[in-house]
Amino acid sequence: MSISDDPGAERAATVAEAPSIFRLRNVTKHFGGVTAVEDVDFDLRPGEVHALVGENGAGKSTLMKIVHGLYTPDEGTLEVGGEAVEFSSPRDAEAAGIAMIPQELDLFPELSVTENLFVGRHRPRTRWGTLDRAAMRAEARERLRSLGVDLDVTINVKGLSAANQQIVAIARALVGEARAVVMDEPTASLTEREVQQLFRIISDLTSGGVGVAYISHRLEEIFTISDRITVLRDGHHITTAPASELDAEELVRLMVGRPLNELFTRSPHSAGEVALEVHGLSRAGEFEDVDLVVRRGEIVGLSGLVGAGRTEVAQCIFGIRSPESGEIRIDAEDVQIHSPQAAMKRGIFYVPEERRSQGLILPFSIKNNITLSILDRISRFGFVPRTERQTADRFAKELSIRGAKISDPVSRLSGGNQQKVVLAKSLAREPSILLLDEPTRGIDVGAKSEIYRLIDTLAKEGKAILLISSELEEVLSMSDRIVVMREGRITGEFGRSEANQEKVMTAATGSENRASPNGSGKEVPEDE
Amino acid sequence: MSEVQAPTTSERGTDSTVLRRWMVRPEAPALVFLAVLVVAFSLSSNEFLSGSNLESIIVSVAVLGTIALAVNQVVLCGEIDISTGSMMGLCAVAAGAVATNTGGLILPLLAGVAVGALAGAVNGVLVTLGRIPSIIVTLGMLYALRGVILLVTGGTWITGIPDETRVLGTGSVVGIHYPVFVLLILFVVMEFVSRHSTWGRNVFAVGGNRRASRLAGLPIERVRFLAFVLVGVFVGIASVIYLGRAGSVQTNTGAGLELQVVAAVVIGGTSISGGRGSTLAALTGAVLIGVILNGLILLGVPSIWQDAVLGSLILLAVATDVLRRRLLGDKS
Repeated sequence: MSISDDPGAERAATVAEAPSIFRLRNVTKHFGGVTAVEDVDFDLRPGEVHALVGENGAGKSTLMKIVHGLYTPDEGTLEVGGEAVEFSSPRDAEAAGIAMIPQELDLFPELSVTENLFVGRHRPRTRWGTLDRAAMRAEARERLRSLGVDLDVTINVKGLSAANQQIVAIARALVGEARAVVMDEPTASLTEREVQQLFRIISDLTSGGVGVAYISHRLEEIFTISDRITVLRDGHHITTAPASELDAEELVRLMVGRPLNELFTRSPHSAGEVALEVHGLSRAGEFEDVDLVVRRGEIVGLSGLVGAGRTEVAQCIFGIRSPESGEIRIDAEDVQIHSPQAAMKRGIFYVPEERRSQGLILPFSIKNNITLSILDRISRFGFVPRTERQTADRFAKELSIRGAKISDPVSRLSGGNQQKVVLAKSLAREPSILLLDEPTRGIDVGAKSEIYRLIDTLAKEGKAILLISSELEEVLSMSDRIVVMREGRITGEFGRSEANQEKVMTAATGSENRASPNGSGKEVPEDE
Repeated sequence: MSEVQAPTTSERGTDSTVLRRWMVRPEAPALVFLAVLVVAFSLSSNEFLSGSNLESIIVSVAVLGTIALAVNQVVLCGEIDISTGSMMGLCAVAAGAVATNTGGLILPLLAGVAVGALAGAVNGVLVTLGRIPSIIVTLGMLYALRGVILLVTGGTWITGIPDETRVLGTGSVVGIHYPVFVLLILFVVMEFVSRHSTWGRNVFAVGGNRRASRLAGLPIERVRFLAFVLVGVFVGIASVIYLGRAGSVQTNTGAGLELQVVAAVVIGGTSISGGRGSTLAALTGAVLIGVILNGLILLGVPSIWQDAVLGSLILLAVATDVLRRRLLGDKS
């Protein structure tokens, strides 16, 4: 470990020459038929902050999970200290001095700070063989003090602020004498002042020779603390460059810039009457003062980073959460929606983002999943009629669901076809307003293109569509209008002709106007 | 429409083989086990396979089986009901009290069913509107209802049940006792309701994925509430069968029954975590318990072994189910 107290040019020179702590070489990882990362290189040197950036689904988390021993690469190698290693679990990674601080902190909320620091590690014993709690507390206090914080180490972790929990997680990582620390979106739920505290800790770590791999969506932060930046896009390595050689605009272009292909279908058409209008919708800690208008035959893209509050707004309109203030109007009529049933009566249907946990009844057949929402409509005297099968068949054909018989369990289908079942279920209900939450996440290109064609057709039929998506390309290509949210607020609205990737990304990340995250909504774990 | 209950199978191949199709059914292991036991017991005891013995087995599990058919629905929608023991006692008290005053069969039966439905509705309201876990609610009710029995009866027995009330337990047609008919009729009704009614379908949906059910607009509260009320109604019917067979009501009537009911449901093959199972599973589980208790007696095994054998059976049933799912490559 090279230790340098002088953080100037001298350090930069040391960093450049030092051998890597770990290095990924030509790493490829598939999940089923999906390639998460392909032929990617990434290395971390002692004393540097190496930022890893890319859109949702670019492969950042996958890559770091390989480093942390959660996944093993299908191809390529992971080297630690110049030697190829194979981690079979995070324990191996920790033994090699690589610690991970995941986005969703893996702390034990009901245990004290001290106990959290010692979970899974050697605990000091008294000479009677019992736990030496005094020694544990003293060591815990010492660890935290070295990070510059004074915490009561006897209180339960759940009583700590998000920032202090983060610090406990870092302290825990360092108990194992980590040489490399991977941080996945560490500032997602921190306030501006807490972010500064975290940055101070990071700079203490790096001046002590620890390398930090830093995943973040916030460009401003990245330029503040990084020495080098690696950009991933669609699982591919785009570039690795010193932070000083890049600027925000260039970085955004590298993250999203790719030619639009024939994936999308969008036929020109005109929007009709206002179908859905939301005014001043607020819910503390989730979103604030949200205004939205969606017309018949219009596709409105709702863009933003994961955790910007888009899902919460849609679920509020669908009656799963109730708004604390604000109005919802359907067809120019004020409505109160307190349940999904009430929303459906008004012609609204929400297609959730989590297919398996929210969209499907997995033990059910394809048929039973499709007719789930219309059983009360088609049933006679409380019994399911035989025509159910024909109804299901019709929608299975309409959405070209392939891969299994309609009476087979839905779990037998591929992800793309499962998503078509979820869509079939909502279309069976014949909604006039569709709220689509990440409708193409994690499915193959073929199915994606079919779903885009379907969305286009639905809009042509006069349905009002709110398309929530973290994929810029998707939002830009499909939407008539794009509304951008950041930290629970609407930060931009662009017509189809004026919208471009840079504008949307800037509004989503706030890379130009200074970010002021003050106790915003909780981040949802990124699902890559 | 067996696909409602069929658990996930592996990707490869089709379900062309009849055996495989049959093996994925939830009650399959219990039925196999039942068949093995019947063969074993009939080989080691001449009396076992006689018509009168087989009939007496069914009669002996009529109360258990009737309640299990309803609790099965509660378990399928992801909840549990362990209040049925005391509930049966209270229903029997109500039916017995009416019977000693008015006689007849219909009025006592209505009294039992009404009290059961009321108790079930209390369970249902506390679970759905109160958002209290069903295991806590029904555990509380298990004690509370037993307390009500003691308060109402003052600790005395109800005796002198008239014969016309007892007919549901003692009467017979063409040599077969009424309890057998009651159990079979309720089984057929539940099988039909479970497979063909929207409520029956929704029970599986809510148990299979409550969140997705809610997002699909299903009335998840009503579905679960009705399941708890159904238990009350079936317990009411079962209490009149009990009344007929026992001829009296004690303050501890039904004690311990609640866990036997849950055991029957789980041994039969309905998943304790909900969403998977069948009506036949509940019936199979109840009959299996009856066959084992009967067989042990015929083999001269001391009755002190009964609990140990039943306990092992529950563990065996769960282990079999886990093993079967692994063999079939069930990932979910």
